[in-house]
Amino acid sequence: MVSVQFVDKDIVQVINEDGTAQRHLEPKMTHQEHLRLFRTMLLVRATDSKAMNLQRSGRIGFYVPSFGQEACQVGSASVLKPEDWVAPAYREPGAALVRGYPVKLLIAQCYGNKADAQKGRQMPSHYGSAATNFITASSPVGTQIVYATGVAWAMKIRKDPRVALVYFGDGATSEVDFHVGLNFGGVFRVPCIYFCNNNGWAISVPREKQTASPTIAGKAAAYGIEGARCDGNDVLAVVQVTKQAAHHARAGGGPTLIEALTYRMGPHSSSDDPTRYRSAEELEAWKKKDPIERYRRFLEKQGIVTAKDVKDLEADVTKEVEDAVAQVEGQAAVAPESMFEDVYAELPYHLRLQRDALLGERKAGAMVEYEQAEGKFPL
Amino acid sequence: MTTQEIRMVQVVSEDGRVDEAQEPKLTKQQVFTLYQTLIRLRTFEARMMNLQRSGRIGFYGGSVGQEATATGSAFALEKQDWVFPQYREPGAALIRGISMETLLYQFMSTAKDIGKGRQMPVHYGDRAVNYVTISSVVASQIPHAAGGGWAMRLRKDNAVALVYFGDGATSTVDFHAGLNLAGVFKAATVFWCNNNQFAISVPREKQTASKTLAEKALAYGFEGLQCDGQDIFAVYAAAKYAVDKARRGEGPTMVESLTYRVGPHSSSDDPTRYRSDVEVDTWRKRDTLERVRHYLRHKGWYDESEDARLHKLAEEEVTRAIEAAEHAGPPSWETMLEDVFAEMTPLQQMQHDDLAAYLKWKEARA
Repeated sequence: MVSVQFVDKDIVQVINEDGTAQRHLEPKMTHQEHLRLFRTMLLVRATDSKAMNLQRSGRIGFYVPSFGQEACQVGSASVLKPEDWVAPAYREPGAALVRGYPVKLLIAQCYGNKADAQKGRQMPSHYGSAATNFITASSPVGTQIVYATGVAWAMKIRKDPRVALVYFGDGATSEVDFHVGLNFGGVFRVPCIYFCNNNGWAISVPREKQTASPTIAGKAAAYGIEGARCDGNDVLAVVQVTKQAAHHARAGGGPTLIEALTYRMGPHSSSDDPTRYRSAEELEAWKKKDPIERYRRFLEKQGIVTAKDVKDLEADVTKEVEDAVAQVEGQAAVAPESMFEDVYAELPYHLRLQRDALLGERKAGAMVEYEQAEGKFPL
Repeated sequence: MTTQEIRMVQVVSEDGRVDEAQEPKLTKQQVFTLYQTLIRLRTFEARMMNLQRSGRIGFYGGSVGQEATATGSAFALEKQDWVFPQYREPGAALIRGISMETLLYQFMSTAKDIGKGRQMPVHYGDRAVNYVTISSVVASQIPHAAGGGWAMRLRKDNAVALVYFGDGATSTVDFHAGLNLAGVFKAATVFWCNNNQFAISVPREKQTASKTLAEKALAYGFEGLQCDGQDIFAVYAAAKYAVDKARRGEGPTMVESLTYRVGPHSSSDDPTRYRSDVEVDTWRKRDTLERVRHYLRHKGWYDESEDARLHKLAEEEVTRAIEAAEHAGPPSWETMLEDVFAEMTPLQQMQHDDLAAYLKWKEARA
């Protein structure tokens, strides 16, 4: 007989729905820190609203909004140090913003024009930046889990006291990369935080069809790692649980699987119609648990903000987003020849040839060079 | 956080005590079938390794040390059930009624091989007894069994799929996909993990950080339990429990059977490179057959001369099978063009004619 600890129904919650708090669980934070979190959550909401409008009016091609999931991303990322690593899924603009990625670049990435730091090479909502240790978002489900595991393992081997935090959804838990990543992370006790945004739906597949496990955090037992569940619409609960996980990882205790219970109030992406697979009642019930509203009630009750402060902050973030759009929109397209950059230090002959052809500057010499090089492909 | 207990089934302890509370209901005849199968299997295994070492078969993967875990679990199945084997369950094959001749016809790639010599040795299968052909690819059989068990449930077949895999397979993609799907759709599948402590050379503790392998079932929403894989009565009891549950429509179970591969991973492996003799000896002492003899003595059924008679019968059976296989001859070359298309395609016909012409020419030249 072996006893196994299974993370069951218990959920860490700090802010009650009415905005009162369970003070003994509350993370120690200054007013400044609270304001920064709150403002970032508002900024995510404003960015999402604007970007969805831009998409609907044909000004950007695609967008992934995160309405309702602001607390998960902002709260968890706020716990990390600048030198830590984040491997996002694709619904964590708030994590990028907390790490100092400017909203202007988020918007610019959606436009894919000259203002885009990624030179227009990714579809919209697939941002990332080396400067903030924020790995570029990738649409294949769960791929980032193995990257984060490897990054964390490398840091452990190098005795570098940094942690990696990886985001994924409930659907990703059925993926190969989840199984491989968490198993490996468990065996090698890597400093990784596996953060599952359980928003109840993998596009149209409901949570109960995803796995028969009573909880997602319970899957931690199968990999011999820690597991925790928190209310993902309660930013302080997210902060609290992530802090513990980061501390555990930095102390050499290995990974933690966090399940944050949340809800995607908008569509999966601008290409999705969620009314096809979920009820209006369900959405309404979750709208009442809006993470921004919950936090606002708490902050007002604590005297950290007034109703007027909130209005000012909302106006402030709206302006920030509008300014970003104004600065980005109308910029020139990325020069087509830039597609030949950033892979080779020096462009090989066959790519030079293609570039020249693209630019209509095929020189007589290029073809000769190509023929001479035959049989020596590619370099 | 809740505490979940992973049950461990043992009927006959190493020192021969019988736990009557856990003892499965088996008739004397059934007990003797298991006993005789273990003797046949052990005799068979010893001869096969010798055949490989003397170059009469090309490859062999033995199950010495793991005889009980395959034999006892397959014994819990009914005729209509299906076996999705790994590659170390000849005991299950014997229980399903696959003869030693059939096995040897396959090992020697003869004309009488059901698979027509198309698989490497030890990759047998037999449709007649619902025994799916073995695949070396680790864990690929798990999704097959999850799908099989799901189909059986949808069709109300009253049948169960039993799939074997090792400790190493639990780290694979197919394990994750198979068990998760079976959990969601309550497939009539029994996931049988023979934890023999080594995935070729990778020890169990490097395989996963979970305390047991059985608890991985919890991550898929169903029960996991352990059994003493050296104790055929514990193996049978655990299997019967899981099989009955699946048949009642109550979904899958994962059983982790604790055992040890006393021999090499296959005839191509040298286990002295990665494990100690002391460890092997410890496990050799946990001998399966000795455990059965304890049980027989407990029941007052043990008879030394009967034991000797069964061994002699087994030797004769193996010898007959080897002789039959060595005289069966190779499959005809034409068989390589069969069984994919109902009619030969023009390209195949061309290849057939070319090869026929070449062989004729070669024969004439000789």
